[in-house]
Amino acid sequence: MGSELYAYALLAFPFLSATAIAFLFRRNGLVASGISVAAAALILATALHIIFRLENFEFNVHWIELGSFSVSFGFLINDLAKLMLFVVAFVGFLVHVFSLGYMKDDPNKARFFGGLSIFMFSMLGLVMASSLVTLFVFWELVGFSSYMLIGFYLGKPSAAAASKKAFIVNRVGDFGFLIGIIMVFSMFGTFNLTSLSEIFSGDASLLQTASVTAIGLFLFCGTVGKSGQLPLHVWLPDAMEGPTPVSALIHAATMVAAGVFLLCRTGFLMTVDALTVIVWVGVLTALVAGLTAIAQRDIKKILAYSTVSQLGYMVAAFGLGSLVALSGSGSHEHAIVTGGVAAAMFHLTTHAFFKALLFLGSGSIIHACHHEQDIFKMGGLAKKMPITFWTFTLALLALIGTPFITAGFYSKDAILALAYQQDKVAFSALVFGAVLTAFYMTRLWKIAFLGSPKSEGADHAHENGLVMTIPLILLSIGSILGGFVWFYPEALRPIILIGEHLAHGENHTTVALFGGAAWAIGLAVAWILYGAGAKEDRLERTSKPLHTLFAQKFYFDHVYDWYVAKIQQRIALTLHFIEQIVLSGLIVRGMAGIAGLVGIGLRSLHVGNIHTYVYWFIGGLVLFWALAVGIF
Amino acid sequence: MNDFASLVQFSIAVPIVAAFLTLFVKSWGRPAVQIVSVTGFALPLIFALFLWGLYDPSTPGGYAFVSNLDTGLEMIGVSLHLGLNGVSLPLFVMASVVGLAAGLFAAQSKAENLSRYLFCLLIMQGGLMGVFASIDIFFFYFFHELALIPTFIMVGIWGGRDRNYAAMKMTIYLTLGAMLSLVGLIAIYVKSGAESFDLITLKAHLAEMPLADSVQNYAFGLLLFGFGILVSLWPLHTWAPLGYGAAPSSAAMLHAGVLKKFGLYGLVQVAIPLLPDGMGHWENWIVWLALGNILVVGLIAMAQRDLKQMIGYSSVMHMGYAFLGIAAMSVLGVGGVVLMMVAHGLTVALLFMLSTMVHHRTQTFEMNEMGGLAKKAPVLAAFFVCAMMASIGLPGPGLANFWGEISIFLAVYDFRNWLVYAVVAGIVISAIYGLRAIASVFYGEETDEFIESQKEVSVEDMSWAERVPALILIVVMFFIGFFPKTVTESINDALESEPVYAQVGE
Repeated sequence: MGSELYAYALLAFPFLSATAIAFLFRRNGLVASGISVAAAALILATALHIIFRLENFEFNVHWIELGSFSVSFGFLINDLAKLMLFVVAFVGFLVHVFSLGYMKDDPNKARFFGGLSIFMFSMLGLVMASSLVTLFVFWELVGFSSYMLIGFYLGKPSAAAASKKAFIVNRVGDFGFLIGIIMVFSMFGTFNLTSLSEIFSGDASLLQTASVTAIGLFLFCGTVGKSGQLPLHVWLPDAMEGPTPVSALIHAATMVAAGVFLLCRTGFLMTVDALTVIVWVGVLTALVAGLTAIAQRDIKKILAYSTVSQLGYMVAAFGLGSLVALSGSGSHEHAIVTGGVAAAMFHLTTHAFFKALLFLGSGSIIHACHHEQDIFKMGGLAKKMPITFWTFTLALLALIGTPFITAGFYSKDAILALAYQQDKVAFSALVFGAVLTAFYMTRLWKIAFLGSPKSEGADHAHENGLVMTIPLILLSIGSILGGFVWFYPEALRPIILIGEHLAHGENHTTVALFGGAAWAIGLAVAWILYGAGAKEDRLERTSKPLHTLFAQKFYFDHVYDWYVAKIQQRIALTLHFIEQIVLSGLIVRGMAGIAGLVGIGLRSLHVGNIHTYVYWFIGGLVLFWALAVGIF
Repeated sequence: MNDFASLVQFSIAVPIVAAFLTLFVKSWGRPAVQIVSVTGFALPLIFALFLWGLYDPSTPGGYAFVSNLDTGLEMIGVSLHLGLNGVSLPLFVMASVVGLAAGLFAAQSKAENLSRYLFCLLIMQGGLMGVFASIDIFFFYFFHELALIPTFIMVGIWGGRDRNYAAMKMTIYLTLGAMLSLVGLIAIYVKSGAESFDLITLKAHLAEMPLADSVQNYAFGLLLFGFGILVSLWPLHTWAPLGYGAAPSSAAMLHAGVLKKFGLYGLVQVAIPLLPDGMGHWENWIVWLALGNILVVGLIAMAQRDLKQMIGYSSVMHMGYAFLGIAAMSVLGVGGVVLMMVAHGLTVALLFMLSTMVHHRTQTFEMNEMGGLAKKAPVLAAFFVCAMMASIGLPGPGLANFWGEISIFLAVYDFRNWLVYAVVAGIVISAIYGLRAIASVFYGEETDEFIESQKEVSVEDMSWAERVPALILIVVMFFIGFFPKTVTESINDALESEPVYAQVGE
């Protein structure tokens, strides 16, 4: 059996699941959830088969041909795709299982699980796509499934607004992405990733040209949108309006990481200039989002900004590592995978484990606290929800990079090592970002879990059932052990190994010291500043202006809202007005003068019946016949 | 390949015959009228699909299923010369699909004087099938008029708000457009000296002896603005949103979906191949006016509060892509336009139909007065989201639209680099108005007006009578999106054999 059949199967399971739910089981949530979870299980099994049993392969079949334009539908399964497949299939399956418990009583369960299946379909297609156009097709589809699931609670105006915002902001990024794709085709005549990388490896001078820099930056626009980089990050925190399992799967572990994946897929065409921009966008995002996170009260918002910040790390990691590779000072174990790809993917993988876990944990909390999301109204949850508490704590330790024992420490270390080697300013910024991470997570942890309950919901909280806790436990294993190469099966090692190497590189001790210090400082400051189960934010009292800036998210949303309401909408209304008055009113009335008398005649004849039209038609014919004879 | 030429003739004749039959069977009651008319719409679809399956893209000379009927007008070079080539066949099929959907939707509607309404619609359908099957320019034009006149009548009699004003405005504009293009066509006929309206003859004749530049320039100008008015080229588009806003939905479906493509089709198949130098002369005009379509009209679409008018504006905006693809004059650009014409026809027809279904439930087209409809009508919401996503070119439901758009974008980039930024900005603009519409109609809480209207009309989800026509359109949309080669192969071969397009690609 050909390898591609497994890839097709990977797409067929979720597709059939979504179709069956849409057409047959729309009203039967129980069956729908069963089908969707079964599909996720089959996906996991098939993905594992592809990863462990199959060689890397590429498969293409002609899709469309028009003039010089030709696109193949196909799969490109290499080490990179396999690692990403593993993350998507594994986290995807666990989130499906968790949702069985979380969405148990929702009347629209079928729609939820149908949406998850559509998402799995699109995401798997994106990961396997062998050409830029196919990738873009699935890229748009994941955006659509995200839109659908963010707006899952239809009746909530905030959910409607958030889903709309997510889609439109992503389209702004896709504007650039699509232009990048168009330029690639115009320049190289192909969309196929393998062919493109061959073109680039055959001609090193290409990486010196400005047009290739432009291509790289346009493609990067897609990443900026999808992976929530500055200045298009505003949609991601709002996307938390969706059900929490969706936040875990789509808006933390997989889809938002697709932008990073795109960079890794197209890394061969990134020039030094483009990479420099990418690094700084990533670094700035990591910092701004980290600062914003320290002043949020909503547990999901904190985690969302943390996600944005960590995505900034991944993007920066890709840029830094590729710069090191281009300057020739890095040691490369692998022909295709550079340090940048390895570091970014390493962090992407560990982040997928612990961030999915954090979101699922927060979902578990929200579920138990009767939809209370404000951490200052929680407190004392450690005793009431022990499994959630412990798994959440493990993930948290991984996120803040607790030295030596967590996955997050190693993957962050690899990034810091690259930064140390390439750019000391970026390095300092990223270390400071690590301080922030430790700070805001410790704050969350201490306020929500320790002390005494501060709301009725928190008081009545109790642990959830096994369907919800087992996924938590499995993910917590990954959060701790995911930093060690031996944790991964042979087939997944190539990329992780390079990432590991970076973390144990020449400046290992210095970098680890900085990383450890950042961890300790952030943790200590938060520990001192916030009492167990605090009722109010001390930062708010002590440094009001700064806190306001952070709490207001650096006013990005204000600026955009102002632009939309005061500029875009006003232009639209003005143009509409001009059209109504000038075009319809004056010019057209004037032009009616061409047919002048006829027009007036029509009005007097009470238009709308066929006779007037016919008279006019005949009159016109005679007139034009006369013209034709006379003039020609 | 000419064995089944009679099916082409039947596709045109059956709706027209059925139209008159509806008047006769009226006395037998409503079901008889419905059956006759639906048959009149269904048979052409069956014929068209059959011909589609039979068509061989590499047909020599391009035209298959050719027939030539004597009309008694041979002395001025007019004969009923029918046939289909790679460009017209997909449009012919699309016309029959949209026709059946519109017919089914009309047959189950509560229109007064149903038989007369269906009579008009069937005549229109016959004209539409004829437009794309005509090789003779005279009949090409004649069938367009045949389809156009019932449109005016339907708007005037069965239209909604402002129907008299809308009907008048549509009539003035479209008749003016048709007149201008008629003069252009007559000019070609007279000046070429071929003494024939036959497209194939004219093409061969003009390939030998092209018209003088000055003649090409003014003849093309006449055709460009004549067709331009019909296709709603900015700033001659203002009839469209108003007219579609007032038109009864089946008429809007057929006009916006199919008949409007007459102008583009005329440019692609007639004007440019016959007057290639004229095209060069007017190129810049097309570029700038088409930008007006995309950017100006796109922004205006954002300011709309009336759902149907918004769809009308969005349709006008998409015509900008089509004009730019044509301006690129390559197989890629023009092929993309043909593909987009097919996809857009299906999509916009679906949107008009669904917006009428929304109206049945909310009693209004004002989006401010709607909200929260998804809870009451989830299936309608799903269909509408699907249609809107297709319209804004989202791969998936709109994969066919996406193929058309990306082909056009690529061609435009090769044509003039800078243009692509403005053109691709359209995907952001359309996302904004499209998603706003979805959000304000279906999401959120029910507005006071909506709650009020529910006291008079109870809101139910889509019935099967409503679902079937919508599903027909959606299935074809998905099919063309996933298997675009079924359409592009024939388009490609037809355009490659057209020297004026083939040379640009190289």
